[in-house]
Amino acid sequence: MDATEFEAIGTHWRIDTPLPLTPHAGAAVLAIVEEYDAVYSRFRADSRIAQLAPGGSITLPAHGDALGRLYRTLYRLTDGAMSPLAGTSLEQLGYDAGYSFVPRGAPAAAPDWDGNLDWNGVRLTAHASVTLDVGAAGKGQLVDLVSDLLCAAGYPDHVVDAGGDMVHRGATPAQVALEHPYAAGSAIGVVELGGRALCASSSNRRRWADGLHHVVNAATGHCVDTVVATWVLAADAMTADGLATALFLAEPDTLLAEFSFDYIQVFSDGHARFSSPLDGALF
Amino acid sequence: MSTSPRRWAVTGLAAVSLLGTAGCAASSPAPAGGSGITGPYADGTYTQSGSYQTPGGEETINVTLTVESDVVTDAVAEPMPSNPTTELYQGKFSSGIKEQIVGRNLDELDVTKVSGSSLTSSGFRSAVDQIKAEAVQ
Repeated sequence: MDATEFEAIGTHWRIDTPLPLTPHAGAAVLAIVEEYDAVYSRFRADSRIAQLAPGGSITLPAHGDALGRLYRTLYRLTDGAMSPLAGTSLEQLGYDAGYSFVPRGAPAAAPDWDGNLDWNGVRLTAHASVTLDVGAAGKGQLVDLVSDLLCAAGYPDHVVDAGGDMVHRGATPAQVALEHPYAAGSAIGVVELGGRALCASSSNRRRWADGLHHVVNAATGHCVDTVVATWVLAADAMTADGLATALFLAEPDTLLAEFSFDYIQVFSDGHARFSSPLDGALF
Repeated sequence: MSTSPRRWAVTGLAAVSLLGTAGCAASSPAPAGGSGITGPYADGTYTQSGSYQTPGGEETINVTLTVESDVVTDAVAEPMPSNPTTELYQGKFSSGIKEQIVGRNLDELDVTKVSGSSLTSSGFRSAVDQIKAEAVQ
C-alpha cells in the first residue's frame, strides 16, 4: 500500500492506494480539493459562497445540486435544526471567519431557509444577508469527489481519509477505530469498513469556550449537548457526513425512514445507541 | 406474512479483538474500563436470547456469537417477531443500547484507521503509529 498525504480544508488527508499515485493523478486530486474549497469555504473572503453574504445569486458546480438536495432533506427531517444557514448562528457564538471565538451576544437562531434562500439545482440565491456553512456535508462530498476521481484515474482500490471522514473502495476492508469522545489515545470500538463511507461528528474538540462548540441547532442557535459523538456508515461520504451531524439533531428512526445507513450515537452521560448491524462494534 | 425469522450475519463487523493483540499484550496498559472480564475465552459458538417490551407485547431476539482464539469471528442476530409491526421495524429500525462506553488503548487494537474528531485525527493517527512502533520493539 502507498500513502499520499497532504493538508487541506483544515484537516489532514491521507489516500491509500496499492500503487503510488502518478504525479498527474496527485495533481488532479489537489486541484479538485482546491476548487471545492474556493467555492464553499466559509473562512475565505474570496470563496464563491462568501459572495452571497450581502444577498444575491451564485452558480455552483454541477455537484452543488446533490449537496443542496441533501441539505434540504435533512432540514426537513430535523425541523430546521440542520441548515446551511447555520453559519449565522455559529458566527453569533464566535466561530467566525476570523476565528475570533468571542460570542457576539446571546445565541441566535439561523434565518429560516424559506424566504431567505433558494437552492434550485446549481443556482443559489440569497434574499437577505446570509452566512452559508455547508461544513456538515461538504467535506464528505469532497471525499466522494476525490474517490470518484481515483476510480476514473485507474485506482479502483483506495481509501480516502479526510481527518477521520473516509470512503473505502475495493476488495479488502479496513478496520477503523472509533475515537473515544473524551479520552484521547483510546477508542470505544472498531468497525470494519468495506465499500462504504464512514463519517464522524463530535462536539468534543472543536470547542472554544465552556459549552460552545461547532455543532449548533440552527432552529435555536444553541449548541447541542445531549449527543457528544456520532458515526455513520453509508454508501457515500456526503450522505454519511450529513447524517452524522443530523444525528445530533434528530432521532435515528426519523432519518432511517429516508436513508439507508448504520450509526452509533454517544450521549453526554456516556451511554451509546447503535443500529443492530453494528452490534459488537463497541467494546 | 412469513413467520420465518430474518437472519443477517455481521461477520467481520464483529471481528473485534476481545483481548487485544496478543503480541503486544505484555507491553499493553490495561484497558481503561470495561466489565472486568478479560478471558481467555473458550472457542465455540454461543447463543443467547433476550427479550424486550414493545407496545404489542414481549418480543425476543436471538444472538449467536462465534469465538475463535479470543476473537469474535461471527455474530448473527435472529429477531423472532411475534407481531407484524415488530417484524417490520426490527429490520431497518432495530437498535441497541450500550449503557456505558468503554475505552481501550489504541495499542491494543489492530486497526489501520481512526475515525473521530476531525481536527485531531491526524495527530491521533500519528500517536497510533508511534505507540505501535514502540510496542513492537
